[in-house]
Amino acid sequence: MNSVIPVLDPASPQAEAINNLFLQVLLISAVIFAIVSGLILIAISRGRRRDTLPEQDFGSEKSEIFWMIGPVIIVIWLVAISANLVITLNAIPHADPDGKTNFNDVDLIVTGHQWWWEVKYPKSGVITANEIYMPADKDKKFRILVTSADVIHCFWVPQLGRKIDAIPGRDNYIWLQATNPGSYQGRCSEYCGAQHAWMNFKVYAVTDEEFQKWEASEKQATEQPKLLSPLAKDDKLAAEGKKYFFQATCPQCHTIQGTKAEATIGPDLTHFARRKEIGAGVIENTPENLALWLKNPQALKPGCKMPDFKLSETNLKQLVAYLETLK
Amino acid sequence: MTTGSVEQPQLTMLEHQPSYTRMLEWVGTLDHKRIGIMYILTAVFYLAVGGFEALLMRIQLAFPNNTFLSPEMFNQLFTMHGTTMVFLVGMPVLTGFANYFVPLMIGARDVAFPRLNSFGFWMFFFGAALLHFSFLTGSAPNAGWFSYVPLSSKAYSSLQGVDYWIIGLLIMGIGSVSGAINIFATIVNLRAPGMSLQRVPLFVWMMLMQAILIILALPALNSALAMLLIDRWLGSAFFDPTRGGSAVLWQHYFWIFGHPEIYILILPGFGMISEVIPVFSRKPIYGYTFVAASSVAIVLLGYGVWAHHMFAVGLGMYADIFFAVGSLLIAIPTGIKVFNWTATLWGGEIQFNTSLHFAVAFLLQFVIGGLTGIMFAAVPIDWQLTDTYFVVAHFHYVLIGGLVFALFSAAYYWFPKMTGRMLNERIGILQFWLWVLGFNMTFMVQHFLGMMGMPRRVYTYGDNPGWAMLNGIATLGAIFMAVGTLVFLWNIFKSLRSGAIAGDNPWDAFTLEWATTSPPPPENFPVIPEVQSRRPVWDTNHPEYADWKTEKTPEDKGRRGNLAKIAAWSFIASEAVFFLLLLVAYVVFNTRLMAPVGEAPSPETLSDVTSSVLDVKRTGIFSLFLISSSITFWIAERFLKAGKKSAFVFSLGLTILLGIIFLAGQVWEYTGLLTSDISINTDLFSATFFTVTGFHGIHVTAGVIALFVMLLMGMKGNLSSEKTHVFGAVGVYWHFVDVVWIAVFGIIYLGLLQ
Amino acid sequence: MSSYFDLTSELWKWNSPVWLLVFTLAGLYFLFQRGTSGKRSAAFAVSMLALLLAYVSPIGVLSDGYLFSAHVVQHLLLLLIVPLFLLLSLSESAMESLFSRPLMNRLGSVMAVPFLGWLSGLGVMWFWHIPSFCNASTVNYALGIFRDATFLLAGLAFWWPVFSPVKRYHLNPAVAVAYLFSACLACTLLGIYITFTVISVCPTFASPVDRIGILNMLYDQGLTPATDQRLGGLLMWVPPCSLYVTAIMIILKRWYADIEHVTAPPSTATPGSLREAHQ
Repeated sequence: MNSVIPVLDPASPQAEAINNLFLQVLLISAVIFAIVSGLILIAISRGRRRDTLPEQDFGSEKSEIFWMIGPVIIVIWLVAISANLVITLNAIPHADPDGKTNFNDVDLIVTGHQWWWEVKYPKSGVITANEIYMPADKDKKFRILVTSADVIHCFWVPQLGRKIDAIPGRDNYIWLQATNPGSYQGRCSEYCGAQHAWMNFKVYAVTDEEFQKWEASEKQATEQPKLLSPLAKDDKLAAEGKKYFFQATCPQCHTIQGTKAEATIGPDLTHFARRKEIGAGVIENTPENLALWLKNPQALKPGCKMPDFKLSETNLKQLVAYLETLK
Repeated sequence: MTTGSVEQPQLTMLEHQPSYTRMLEWVGTLDHKRIGIMYILTAVFYLAVGGFEALLMRIQLAFPNNTFLSPEMFNQLFTMHGTTMVFLVGMPVLTGFANYFVPLMIGARDVAFPRLNSFGFWMFFFGAALLHFSFLTGSAPNAGWFSYVPLSSKAYSSLQGVDYWIIGLLIMGIGSVSGAINIFATIVNLRAPGMSLQRVPLFVWMMLMQAILIILALPALNSALAMLLIDRWLGSAFFDPTRGGSAVLWQHYFWIFGHPEIYILILPGFGMISEVIPVFSRKPIYGYTFVAASSVAIVLLGYGVWAHHMFAVGLGMYADIFFAVGSLLIAIPTGIKVFNWTATLWGGEIQFNTSLHFAVAFLLQFVIGGLTGIMFAAVPIDWQLTDTYFVVAHFHYVLIGGLVFALFSAAYYWFPKMTGRMLNERIGILQFWLWVLGFNMTFMVQHFLGMMGMPRRVYTYGDNPGWAMLNGIATLGAIFMAVGTLVFLWNIFKSLRSGAIAGDNPWDAFTLEWATTSPPPPENFPVIPEVQSRRPVWDTNHPEYADWKTEKTPEDKGRRGNLAKIAAWSFIASEAVFFLLLLVAYVVFNTRLMAPVGEAPSPETLSDVTSSVLDVKRTGIFSLFLISSSITFWIAERFLKAGKKSAFVFSLGLTILLGIIFLAGQVWEYTGLLTSDISINTDLFSATFFTVTGFHGIHVTAGVIALFVMLLMGMKGNLSSEKTHVFGAVGVYWHFVDVVWIAVFGIIYLGLLQ
Repeated sequence: MSSYFDLTSELWKWNSPVWLLVFTLAGLYFLFQRGTSGKRSAAFAVSMLALLLAYVSPIGVLSDGYLFSAHVVQHLLLLLIVPLFLLLSLSESAMESLFSRPLMNRLGSVMAVPFLGWLSGLGVMWFWHIPSFCNASTVNYALGIFRDATFLLAGLAFWWPVFSPVKRYHLNPAVAVAYLFSACLACTLLGIYITFTVISVCPTFASPVDRIGILNMLYDQGLTPATDQRLGGLLMWVPPCSLYVTAIMIILKRWYADIEHVTAPPSTATPGSLREAHQ
């Protein structure tokens, strides 16, 4: 279950700090609004009862300057607290004295695509899509390089911290931290075309142990492609599905590691069946929904890059069976 | 100079003529009041269009996973909604009010350039029509009102929608700049005797500020649009990161225009409120100088804060902090204004009519919009909430809660002057409550939607807890506002037919527009009134409390500029910004190729590449021709003043010849480059080179044509020595073109700054 | 690595020759401006303090080959702060009599031509940031002194048309606003150029010679050459513009308070353009 008001429900020191700043500014704003609106309402309720010509008051420099003191102090204070936080949250990687960026400590590379997220762990080589696993550790910053393969997107996990744009031809840096294990909703928050609405992702913060296990299993599976014995009934369907997968145009867009499918236009399908959602958040990943998706992706996500292949019922079943084996 | 209003037949004569002549009278009118009304009516039409688009979007968003609109349709609608509301409603309705009231408020008989005024309106009218024509092609623009690249580039928006958007905006931009030059010259030059600039009504002052903003900010948009158009049509790569272009440059350019644009929209709103509140408090505005000077501060600061729209881009820590400081500083002059409006109400004899209802709602809602604006200036909060529904709520609080409410307030205030009849108060109050309720229902809840994580510009959303309810409330509020608008139209319709007769000055208001009849006659004033203070009509009506007795204001020294020169200089200011930004683009793209900071520059620097394709010496010689043409022009001007016709014709002819020789040199250079396969889409150097020099060449050509017209006039003897200021205005332009070339030559050919 | 105390003593340059200039100016000031108001003396003190700050404090030491941003601060102090307050410290009457002499009046009027003031003020800013000149003036001591002298003089020329002690040299308010606003624009451009360009504007600062052993400390603070240049660009942009905007506000205040010169009654002042409109 995700948080209802994620911006006000921080789950990391970073988001916590932003939230505190937000609440503070909100409080200041509320006080200002109360004062101004109070003065205006009093002026009106008093003024409505008046029926003589009021004193023709042209203003006084002194009172203007006196009034200015408040805003000036508030502005200085806001500059101070927000600048302080900007410096604290600065995520540009440590620069070497020669001015070059030190890239060694990037834990994750996130690339925005129309309309899904490619997620790559450079240290282990694991590649997945629309799901980020990270260790929940409030002392460790999980550093992410954010970029884009096509248009500008924006990477945003409200409960974990700031958003940052994914811009083609540009590397942006951000770090995530999660105080507690849990799942956190992420969204694209820069308009990026037809399916900007369905470019969601989830961050799963897990214990360090679980993360190691997850990473290992992701890696392992890439070394062992799913080749099942054609004897069992289900496996037969899956094997036929696999055959069809490579006969059809699927490998022209997708990768399944350990096979000939190596294209990177669409999401990596190596561990597709493990994922919890299809189409960057459009529907839950169940065999029934997968069939629905394959039948006509354009019906579920109109405008997405995967065309309606008008698959026959048989091929549909075979493909579903095959893809379900990619655990 | 003949003004349009003098040519107008009397209104009474029109009544019995067939309707098509009457329409032609409107189409061909040069009367500032009629043009003003046409602006306002066109804007109201597009308000209905943009409002309808908004309503469709709200219906789509009323329920989760709704399929009322396709995503493609939804994206076109929000793009057109934003573009329409900003460029087709906000700007023209304000230009309309300015057109109608600025000459009246300063005691002038018309605007400075009635023909330019009419031209500006029709540019706007047809630009707007062209933009909406895109719907008929089946693909309206769909890249958002700020059309971020690369989404708006050919690769990701291959249909014509974005092209219509670019061309439409360019055409309307020409109209806006000419309108702004007109308002600027009118205010500077045509004020009634006694009305020093320190005495103009605040609405006029705000329109002066707005004119300056338009003149200096719009060219930034135009330069970006030009580059995008060249990208899309000629295949260059300004904004294509895969070929070395920059996706961020567009954002910089767009917001260098876009942030001042917000003040272009809201400053006139401030002006309207500053007229309405004093009149209905029966008091002068509190702290006139502070309200006026703080607008100057807003204008100046407004140019330096554009990157606060880009905090999520990752510009780096220092840039973020500096832009945050600038943005927060704007809170101070804005705070001063709110204080002054409140202080004006304080102790006043409040006439709580519909107009003041809207003005007070403006104040409260604008304060909310301003305070959420402060939140966005505090960078980390922006990092959470930008591009969510929170920001949608924020800018609608400023633009609807602020501007639209100010417009309604002004409409109720000025309608009697424009039509001679009062708007109905009871219907007005009904409309007010429909709007206040509807507006706050729609947009207050969007703050929460933003905090719940709903990004802006999504065509639908999953069934997340709370989202459906809040979106439903927002949609309901939008319906309230739509009904409120219908009530308003009904009020206008009813009042036009049977409203109470207004008389000259129904509100006992203060400023000069109330010194004439309602509606004003074509020549505005039978006698130009005399001005001794900031409230001339108040002085006349209440001589015992006349302002000039108690509150001394700077006297009018009677200084007025020369209209032709003012127009030429303001036009050039606008052009200078345009060229400046193109040159900045050149520098940006051509220093990137060089060694990064911290490394020794490699021998293969750009200047070598440049010199390998450009013949610097040859172009240098042709540059001398252009520069010497400035001197011959100057000589021609002296001969004209001295009245020596043949010498004048000779030296002007020589100027034209020198200009043509320069152009021939450019043609030679272009031919050489094109035959050696260097064209605008070759690389970033060639793209920037051809863009900068090409636009300069177009300007030289235009200058040569203008000079040629001057030559013909001189030969026919139409250019008397008294008319030298017209010639001088052309001269300002010609010298400007030369100065630009010197900068171009220095930066591109000599490689300064590299 | 030296201790903190050593460092702080290294970062201050108490034996800077600028003291000579300060003492000379102070001597002259008290000789000729005796008995001026406290406000003026305070302005003079600010001016001299700024001058000292530019050379004696760590700004002076760091701008000498270490940090581009420190160099920008020094540059702004010399170009904007010192001359501005120097002008404000001069008494009106004394200057009035000085500039009533024909030759001096000539000089005053020439300096009041807005184009020249603008060009010299902004010209030095741009000129000394052309990479080769910037580099040369940092490496070569004599050229550096020459550069600083041009900053001071150009600063005087820049502020003269706006804040000259002699009122008749003041620009009319509209021109003065345009003057300062366009100056802000030029600063902005230079600032943006320095901030966003990828080339090193002043290559000396990209690979400093570590005379006093503080380079590592600076890098540890995050002030690497790239960051340093970006910070310098922003300093070139925001503080001067803020100063110009403040000056514009002061001009506007003067303009709105301009009520003592009542010249002609308004009825006689019919401008030409209106007469045209009557035709």
